[in-house]
Amino acid sequence: MSEPQILKLMSNDNVEIPVDKDVACRSILIKNMMDDIGEQALTEAIPIPNVNEAVLNKVIEWCVHHKNDPTQTNDDDADSRKKTTDIDEWDQKFMQVDQEMLFEIILAANYLDIKALLDVGCKTVANMIKGKSPEEIRKTFNIQNDFTPEEEDQIRRENEWAEDR
Amino acid sequence: MDFGSRTHGHGRMSSVDSDHEMPMHARRPSAPHSLGHRLSRRKESMQHVHPKPPLTPNSTSMPQSMTNPLLPSAPTSPPTPAPSPTPHQRSPTAWPPSLDDTEDSLMEEARHIFNRLSTTAKENWLRSFVDMCDNHSLSFLHHIVSPKLKKDPFHALPPEMCYKILEFIDDPKTFVRASQVSRRWREILSDDQAWKTLCEKHAYRRMSTDSIGSNLNTSASASQILYGHLRSASPNRVPDSMSAIDESPEGAPVSPQTTLTTDSSRRNKKARPRSTHRSHFKHRYLVESAWRKGGKVTPKHITPDQGVVTSLHLTRKYIVVALDNAKIHVFNTKGDHQKTLQGHVMGVWAMVPWDDILVSGGCDRDVRVWNMVTGTSVHTMRGHTSTVRCLKMSNAKTAISGSRDTTLRVWDLTTGLCTNTLMGHQASVRCLQIHGDLVVSGSYDTTAKIWSISTGQCLRTLQGHFSQIYAIAFDGQRIATGSLDTSVRIWNPQDGSCQAILQGHTSLVGQLQMRGNTLVTGGSDGSVRVWSLLSNQPIHRLAAHDNSVTSLQFDDTRIVSGGSDGRVKIWDTNTGALIRELCQPAEAVWRVAFESERCVVMASRGGRTIMEVWDFTPPAEVGDVEDEDGPLEMRGFAAQEGDEEMIDAEEEIDGGGSMLEAYSTGEDESEDMTD
Repeated sequence: MSEPQILKLMSNDNVEIPVDKDVACRSILIKNMMDDIGEQALTEAIPIPNVNEAVLNKVIEWCVHHKNDPTQTNDDDADSRKKTTDIDEWDQKFMQVDQEMLFEIILAANYLDIKALLDVGCKTVANMIKGKSPEEIRKTFNIQNDFTPEEEDQIRRENEWAEDR
Repeated sequence: MDFGSRTHGHGRMSSVDSDHEMPMHARRPSAPHSLGHRLSRRKESMQHVHPKPPLTPNSTSMPQSMTNPLLPSAPTSPPTPAPSPTPHQRSPTAWPPSLDDTEDSLMEEARHIFNRLSTTAKENWLRSFVDMCDNHSLSFLHHIVSPKLKKDPFHALPPEMCYKILEFIDDPKTFVRASQVSRRWREILSDDQAWKTLCEKHAYRRMSTDSIGSNLNTSASASQILYGHLRSASPNRVPDSMSAIDESPEGAPVSPQTTLTTDSSRRNKKARPRSTHRSHFKHRYLVESAWRKGGKVTPKHITPDQGVVTSLHLTRKYIVVALDNAKIHVFNTKGDHQKTLQGHVMGVWAMVPWDDILVSGGCDRDVRVWNMVTGTSVHTMRGHTSTVRCLKMSNAKTAISGSRDTTLRVWDLTTGLCTNTLMGHQASVRCLQIHGDLVVSGSYDTTAKIWSISTGQCLRTLQGHFSQIYAIAFDGQRIATGSLDTSVRIWNPQDGSCQAILQGHTSLVGQLQMRGNTLVTGGSDGSVRVWSLLSNQPIHRLAAHDNSVTSLQFDDTRIVSGGSDGRVKIWDTNTGALIRELCQPAEAVWRVAFESERCVVMASRGGRTIMEVWDFTPPAEVGDVEDEDGPLEMRGFAAQEGDEEMIDAEEEIDGGGSMLEAYSTGEDESEDMTD
């Protein structure tokens, strides 16, 4: 095995972050870019215009930890998503960040095309919603109830069907 | 803490803004000079992706803060004199008492200094403040800080991401609760794709009636037999024939009526563009709930005396009941009596409906063809020399009967003539099943035979059972037989070999239904067994009844069994758990049959034969229709009601309303029960 190749990512706030090539290639976006432009990618920093340094570091942290995970195929993809919102312990800890950071990780994972991270992020948000009353959800995300009392009442009635089982 | 409350309470607008922004960015490690730059960049990009309405009154003025001179992005215009480098060393006693202006300027100075600190220094500063706080102030601090760390995901993320989050939620309760959070959430939650995913998770198949037995025999040519030319005059009468599709074998030549009915079902789908997955989910969810612990029951007395129900069929239009007193009663799907078919002179033991046609046979050896609309006899077909024990139709024009006279006969219903007699069995033909051009028959001679309907040839004889065969199922891929020898055998129709012997029942296996890779059997030992046909192993063994299992039917969701112990039980097909007992215990249950929203039970109660029709259709909700004009743009509800298809115009007269959706849209693949 040769030396691990290092490439540099440039966050949108102009910070260069060196990353092991294998780690960076957890991102399908970067992987495809590497395939396209080849060795040249190693000499110049790759700009990641949608992601700032803090988020990019976080994403790289995740990629380092999951460096050796088997890549998901499209087949088991639909299945595994259907099955569970279980999140492994490391990922749960990893996702213990403020909500803005959490959402930015989701956006970054989407932009960088890191499916597994995107799933973990979305699962984390889903778990924050599950089993809560509307008011509890509002509290969780600091959301203003912008319905009029009449609308609220109407919506509640419309949705009663799912409540009494 | 004074610092916080003062600025928050009556500080100038600019202070409030900078105050508002500080905590958010203070926690980001970054060089001070880039802060404002980043801030504006971030704002732009976020607003570009998804316009963000104000969350709090404060945030409306946020754009101003970008040009706020307090921010380090504009260090050239400090608002106050050069800050003192050692604010902490000022003696509080030196402050002019009660001079708000001085205090304000000191505060501003402090904020200015704070802003210029490194992240670590900021944190140290904040920590020192926090350390000075008592619990009251800390809880105040918590109160103002925690909402700032929260954010509405459905505002922060683009719609695709929001939908993706919803994909991880499989609980409809969470769905409907989330839709009550705010307008934005409601909008996201009314996305039909999300409901479609939910439907898939709950296995609520779209446009499906899931559990209708193959009794839903409908086709164009059936009407042709009854009405001659009438069919072409009213093409809308052509139903979306499930059974024509069901029963045409894979690889068999596509008959004209199959093509025709496929066309009609395609038309069905076009005819209901407003039906949504949300309304579909709601409907199915309510139906499922009703199956679990609701439903409306309508009891009907069938005979004043103790008549034995020999056969029960449930179709899209009819409930048909045959009795050993020679009568056949036709009801509509709600259980209202329509016709009594009189003509048989002895007990009726077998019958099969197909659209408006009914073919019946029994002890008087005749096979009769009836028009269920008019209640009249169309043909009386003679040939059998003993009791007709089983009957099936292979298409709208062809019926096949099995008799105690050891033969099967193929009947042409258009002419009323016997076109073939299948001879070979050595004893009574007890059961038969058709798939394409093949008919399989089970006999008291312990064998089953495979015949070609068109040539009348016996293709295979399946030998292996040690005793009479009572039940048979055939789906083109496999043949299953149930016998008095207590075993079930699985046969390969291609070469006639026995693929498996399923053992476990301790008495006659008289009930048997095959669906996909699942086989469910019921025995005189009272047990119901669920088998995997992939492994040929039992999946569930249900101690269902104290006595014989007299009737059973299953689909992907549930198994309904009736026993001579007088009970009707509903089981979860997947877990094998008992879901409920449907009726008050009767003296005996003769027959049960169900489809997606109805269940019919024939039982003996108080010495009389009764029919109980269970209806699991959710009540029509007026409110849903009103929603259409509601202020909130109710997507998803509009199509719930009043969207019947033309095809069902007939049913609208007697049924009407919300039941139609389920009946008219099915593309069913379930197997018929063997008698």
